[in-house]
Amino acid sequence: MAAPKGRDDDVRLMAALVTFGVTSMILMAVMLLAPVVKVGPSEGELAPDFSAQAYSGGEWEDFRLSDLFNKSWAPGGDGDWIVVQYIDTDCPYCWSEGEMMSQLHSQWNQEVTFVTVVVELGIQGHDSSREEVEAFRDKTPYDGCITNSDCADRPGNPHSWIYIDDLNTRTSGDWELPGTPFAALLQPDGIVAWNPQQSGNHPEGEEMDGALQRLVGGS
Amino acid sequence: MALDTPLMIFIAGLVIASAGGLKASRTDGEEGTKGMIDSGLLFSVIGLMSSGWTYAIHNSLLDSGESSMCASEGLVQCGSVIGDPEWNNLFGIPWGITGLLSFSLLFFLFLSLRMDMHAKWAESFTSYSLLAGLAGVPFVAFLIFVELTQVEGAPHICPFCTVAHLSLIGFLVAAHALRGRKQSGAWA
Repeated sequence: MAAPKGRDDDVRLMAALVTFGVTSMILMAVMLLAPVVKVGPSEGELAPDFSAQAYSGGEWEDFRLSDLFNKSWAPGGDGDWIVVQYIDTDCPYCWSEGEMMSQLHSQWNQEVTFVTVVVELGIQGHDSSREEVEAFRDKTPYDGCITNSDCADRPGNPHSWIYIDDLNTRTSGDWELPGTPFAALLQPDGIVAWNPQQSGNHPEGEEMDGALQRLVGGS
Repeated sequence: MALDTPLMIFIAGLVIASAGGLKASRTDGEEGTKGMIDSGLLFSVIGLMSSGWTYAIHNSLLDSGESSMCASEGLVQCGSVIGDPEWNNLFGIPWGITGLLSFSLLFFLFLSLRMDMHAKWAESFTSYSLLAGLAGVPFVAFLIFVELTQVEGAPHICPFCTVAHLSLIGFLVAAHALRGRKQSGAWA
């Protein structure tokens, strides 16, 4: 009988080590070439990007959050800060927040771009639609906001900023959405500057208006 | 888009690996088998490097909104493909990382075979290589579909992504040829 031709030692461990080494070298080269950017909703991270359909009073149009970012922005430089607000048109707290958002917008619209992302929470009775989103934003008659109210009765003025259709909640995972309403403040370069979930980083009891005053200032 | 240096290197690697595989397919015995393994190994290395490159493009696009590593306009470009927030990841993991991990597995399988082509597990490793390569095909098909129809301003073709796709196809051909050699007794 012919002797087996294979080697006595098992080369698979050595092959695994070589593979690990080669992959690690490539990864290190990548890190040197283009360091990893931390993306997430936490302060100091790059805000998760998304593309979706947006409504600003006319036709629904393509929108991409990162198109608002000014990557060359430096602290103290020019550029619009960004408020990203998440709501559900059937959420009573979001309904009430409509007035505060109107006030914030009228005070800060020169320095801040407002973006409202509309999601549909998986709660019984929370059935939304683009018609409802339009009516919520524009404060026009539509029976269905906060489940069975007329959207025209929403507190605050008609909102003139952009509303995003995320009714299938595609972006909520990336944004680690804790619930609605939720609003974060982004620097002009897209870095999250203020997240209400990180209250330990802020002066005690600070809300969005205080954050805008502290971080954007000058209004 | 101009053929920049990394792309030329990757294309040259694909051509060399293909030529090596073709030559090996016409060579009998152990020498032909080794040549076929070398061809598959080279395909997996090109796959690893091109995946790494796409991951670097991904990072630079996030960092600055643009990348000097690939064109961002036109039919053949990376910006609209790797920069698309909806399609540039698999469950949050950038496709470049997915490619790196996948080609690492393929590289490991073929490197093991190259280091001991007469081992008891050689036959099962040729089968694993073929199966692992086949497992990547639906992903390649999906990514080509995304490039051509789904990303903003489609169709687009990301050249470095295409290099990775071709690397997988090349590896698959090599793995199929090796399995045929093993089953027909033409291994060595």
